Amino acid sequence: MAKSSLDKKFDQIRKREEEKTFSTKKRSRIVSKFLNNRLAVIGLIIFTIIILASIFAPLLSPYDPMRVDLRSMRQPPSFAHWFGTDSTGRDVFTRVLFGGRVSIFIGLGSAILSAVVGIAVGCYAGYKGGWIDVIALRISEIFMSFPQIILVLLLVSITGQSLFNLMAIFILTGWGGMYRLARARMLSLREEEYVQALRSFGLSTFTICYKHMLPNALSPIMVNITLSTAMFILTEAGLSFLGLGVPLNIPTWGNILNVAQDILVLQNYWWMWGPVGIVISVFVLCVNFIGDGLRDSTDPSQQG
Amino acid sequence: MTTYILQRLFIFFPMLLVISFLVYSGLELSPGDAVSHMISPELASTITAEQLDAMREAYGLNQSFITRYWIWLTSMVQGDMGYSMAGGVAISEIMAKTVPATLELSMVALFFSTILGCSLGVISALKRGSGTDNSLTVAGMAGVSIPEFFFGLVAILLFAIELKWLPVGGRLLPHYETLWDRIPNIVLPSLVLALMMTAGAMRYARSSMLDVLAREFITTARSKGMPEWRVNILHGFRVALTPVVVLIGFRLPLLIGGSTIIEQVYQWPGIGSMFIRSVRASDYPLVMTISLMYVFVVLTASLVIDVLTALIDPRVRLGKE
Repeated sequence: MAKSSLDKKFDQIRKREEEKTFSTKKRSRIVSKFLNNRLAVIGLIIFTIIILASIFAPLLSPYDPMRVDLRSMRQPPSFAHWFGTDSTGRDVFTRVLFGGRVSIFIGLGSAILSAVVGIAVGCYAGYKGGWIDVIALRISEIFMSFPQIILVLLLVSITGQSLFNLMAIFILTGWGGMYRLARARMLSLREEEYVQALRSFGLSTFTICYKHMLPNALSPIMVNITLSTAMFILTEAGLSFLGLGVPLNIPTWGNILNVAQDILVLQNYWWMWGPVGIVISVFVLCVNFIGDGLRDSTDPSQQG
Repeated sequence: MTTYILQRLFIFFPMLLVISFLVYSGLELSPGDAVSHMISPELASTITAEQLDAMREAYGLNQSFITRYWIWLTSMVQGDMGYSMAGGVAISEIMAKTVPATLELSMVALFFSTILGCSLGVISALKRGSGTDNSLTVAGMAGVSIPEFFFGLVAILLFAIELKWLPVGGRLLPHYETLWDRIPNIVLPSLVLALMMTAGAMRYARSSMLDVLAREFITTARSKGMPEWRVNILHGFRVALTPVVVLIGFRLPLLIGGSTIIEQVYQWPGIGSMFIRSVRASDYPLVMTISLMYVFVVLTASLVIDVLTALIDPRVRLGKE
């Protein structure tokens, strides 16, 4: 009895094999596992909506995010101004859309660039070992000896405030984590047989570590990029809230929130800081959902 | 064991030295020197170049960079931290005032977050896969996604401005001195900080508890016919939480860094808000001393963790990496 049902299953598998639906099996399992994670899908959808809304901001809003309009100061939300207007009559909704451009650019850009630096160093140093590895490890330890926010503030005080400086600071503070991750993966991959085989064929170090080993370390790196995007967006918001991040004339999510330092604004004009705070929280939550979904779907120990 | 500790100390001090040198040279590269910060812009036009040079001479700024670093380092080691450029207050005095405030806030927040995180983590491990578990996980993610200062602002608006239960900020109300009088001030900032930290503690506690529940002695306890709550509380809980509590204790340095923005939001007179103020004012001696103090705390904590783990697990100190 059991055998006949097993046979049936086997026939089905063979049939599918003949139809060549197995060829993309691994990729599709990751995608389908991700799609099965309801939170991750919701996160991805809202994430996409917020990014598209920021990109197409000029089409979505008739207002200019910088233009001061003293006739419409501090208006509560209405049909004309969805999130109301701020103390100089600028439309808050428009500023949130345009602010999203800068904030997301900083978050995602710094995360990707610091990953590139961290991976470039980590792969090579982890595979090669020796003095390069020792030096890189010590340098990353120097950066990790500071609480993150303190290091960022210290570097801001050294370099001064600008968009470019802020991204450079984020990359400088963020590459260490990625480096350690890439290095750890490389250390374990280094002993695998396929790597030893490649080495015995006389392939160059660069080809082995960047072309053959790196793809096998990619999924934890992807997860880490999403998580550090979330972290950088939060840090930018915090710094700009303190007035120490991006210069105030550029609208970013943190800069919009900056007005809430004034207790009068906090008390009387909730629309100037409430909606943007919620947008940041929702966006970062979505990024975290995506990261969590990616981790669950790519972690081999969880594949069933 | 002694060799291991010595090895670690052998890394600790050079690291501190290198970092102090890097920070010193970084601040050296930033625009302007101490003298240009001391002169207010209105007076700048009335002062001649000779007077500026005389001032630089008086403060020893015309000496070479290495000499100045050496002077700074030797006086630092002797406990002389120098003076803040804003107001000329001794930095050691500023530290003595602000560090206790930050420790007070951090300890209270650590206390709340440990209790809350551990109990929620254990609950979610016991009800693994249930609705409670899932919603706690989502709540934990929301906790790390909301900007802490935004959360703090909402709490101020709600509990301090609308309901008027608690003060808006500060550490002490005027004319109130006793410990009891301080409690209303610390409630909001410490709870906000604690809620932000709970997610991490919860995750640790959950995975540790799941780990323990899969062990054989739990099965043995169950097979003896012990009631389920006794198994969970006496055998599971106790074993699972020891490593978690140790781990959380060592998150104190992280917490001290993390409280920076909350201190600013609540006008808490701690080291974090002092650091922000000094960065804003480009008060380099203060920026430098405070950031090195953070580094010292982080390095010391990691040294203690390493030594303790080596004490508990001999494989660490015998193994190479």
